[in-house]
Amino acid sequence: MNEDDAGDAEQPAGATRATLEWADGRTLSVEPQPDEPVLDAAERADAGLPYGCRHGACGTCTARLLDGDPESLDHRRPPRALKPRHLDAGYVLLCVAEARSDCRLRVGSDVLAETRPAPWRDAGDG
Amino acid sequence: MSDTQQPGSGTHGDSHADHDHGAEGPGYETPQAAIEESEPEKTAYVMGLYTGTDVDAPDFVAVVDIDPDSGDYGEVVDRVEMPNRGDELHHFGWNACSSSCHVGGLERRHLLVPGQRSSRIHVIDTAERRRPELAEVIEPDEVFDHDLSAPHTVHCIPDGEILISMLGDADGDLPGGFLSVNDEFEVQGRWDPPGEIEMNYDFWYQPRQNVMISSEWAAPKTYYPGFDLEDVEAGNYGQRLQVWDWEDGTVEQTLDLGEEGQLPLEVRFLHSPVSTHGYVGAALSSNVFHFAEDGGRYRAEKAIDVEAREHDDWDMPMPGLVTDLLVSMDDRYLFFSNWLHGDVRMYDVSDPANPRFVDRVWAGGHFGPRHPTGEDDRAVVGGPQMLQLSLDGERLYWTTSLFSSWDEQFYPEEGDRGSVMLKADVDPRHGQMELDEEFLVDFGGMPHGPARAHEIRWPDGDCTSDVWQ
Ligand code: FES
Repeated sequence: MNEDDAGDAEQPAGATRATLEWADGRTLSVEPQPDEPVLDAAERADAGLPYGCRHGACGTCTARLLDGDPESLDHRRPPRALKPRHLDAGYVLLCVAEARSDCRLRVGSDVLAETRPAPWRDAGDG
Repeated sequence: MSDTQQPGSGTHGDSHADHDHGAEGPGYETPQAAIEESEPEKTAYVMGLYTGTDVDAPDFVAVVDIDPDSGDYGEVVDRVEMPNRGDELHHFGWNACSSSCHVGGLERRHLLVPGQRSSRIHVIDTAERRRPELAEVIEPDEVFDHDLSAPHTVHCIPDGEILISMLGDADGDLPGGFLSVNDEFEVQGRWDPPGEIEMNYDFWYQPRQNVMISSEWAAPKTYYPGFDLEDVEAGNYGQRLQVWDWEDGTVEQTLDLGEEGQLPLEVRFLHSPVSTHGYVGAALSSNVFHFAEDGGRYRAEKAIDVEAREHDDWDMPMPGLVTDLLVSMDDRYLFFSNWLHGDVRMYDVSDPANPRFVDRVWAGGHFGPRHPTGEDDRAVVGGPQMLQLSLDGERLYWTTSLFSSWDEQFYPEEGDRGSVMLKADVDPRHGQMELDEEFLVDFGGMPHGPARAHEIRWPDGDCTSDVWQ
């Protein structure tokens, strides 16, 4: 998953489907166009997802790929807010992520918090 | 309370217009003049934010009524909403302050309000101080064009120019730098030579000494998502101060504060323009460093060490986390917040290199009372953080949010319940402070949902922005 990985350049005509799932069970399907960040498609659908920098630096838009091929999303700019351990665990940055095939994503502000657990706490360190 | 109690232009206190220093510019001739001539603050501007939560609303500048004679005392009476979501409003500053006291025609009237995450810079016109309005927006691309991002501290500099510390490059990586904006709120470009520094955070200049000192947080991509111990081990957080030649805009000296000086954040010179003394709070190491010139060179030494404390939920002693500090306008007292512990401390700095502890107040945090203003009042679910002091030094106010992603780690309830603004009454004569249990501004009850609250400013200047030539 990086911006140089242009392997599946030939997209099926039209959009892919990204299903957004919140912690409270709410879901919403959005249809990002090719070359359109998932965040932009979610905004068109009034999903109200959190975001900040919109260029892959801040992590506010962090989501987690629930299923779908790990190749189903490509970052159009380096996802600087994510470390290798986050990328390995399927975290993505929706402001710079383009969908290559259908996928399901955990979204909402709690997803970023998962990637940076409270340090030094006895419980819940992970 | 209405605007009619303010002077017509709404940009100066009545006193400024009357005072007789033969100048037409904003502010006060000396720090002592600010104390004598200012009126007790009646209005506060406070950063309010939703970025990083699921509230689908933009951040805002809150107008808070702090006039004890008003029926709306302690209420948010107006909110200037930003045109976009996701800014993370954080710090802000005036277009002009006492450093331009002798520049005719300039007014302390426009607030520059950067979005820390968005890199968008808003200009708010406070001509009507209870009804400020968004006047201009500098879009992120205009900032990225200069290979800068993540605007933080705004200081006006003499002659109407404005300088903003920028913590990253256009990718949110290092190096940062400084952005210069003119008095028409047009981006002029980069102030410093590219590559002069790596990390950046806060800065303060002391023009008569031809010096500026800047501090270090980390690359935006490092601190934006949250605190990470891995980054401490990797040396990704700052621990240095840069001492600049103010006129040349070049670094003359780098002071490495070492292990005990990790995360040096807010920088405060004493207000007297002849002083070279000042302080910086090293948040992570929880030490306050004193700096001063000594034989033509600046030196910094640890002056206050906050002891880490054992806490049942922590597997290592909890640091205080000194996240903000300020110096009273008369340069007699230093106040700082221990955001994790939950206390605000007051030190006598009449001997600046040797601060003397005089008093403190506990409110929230991990060791202070959860209902500091009374059991019937709402819980305080963060710790004391951004401070602001009245010009006369008798009222200290603070808010409780540090930064959305860091709040989530250390005070996860704050996003759901919102911040508060609290106040202590200070007795400078006797070196005492006491929590005002009658005062609590609740950001939990905002129209779109609970909001965080960050930096505080007064319309007529304050202890963390006014500088004298
Ligand atoms: S919004 Fe900042 S990384 Fe996506």
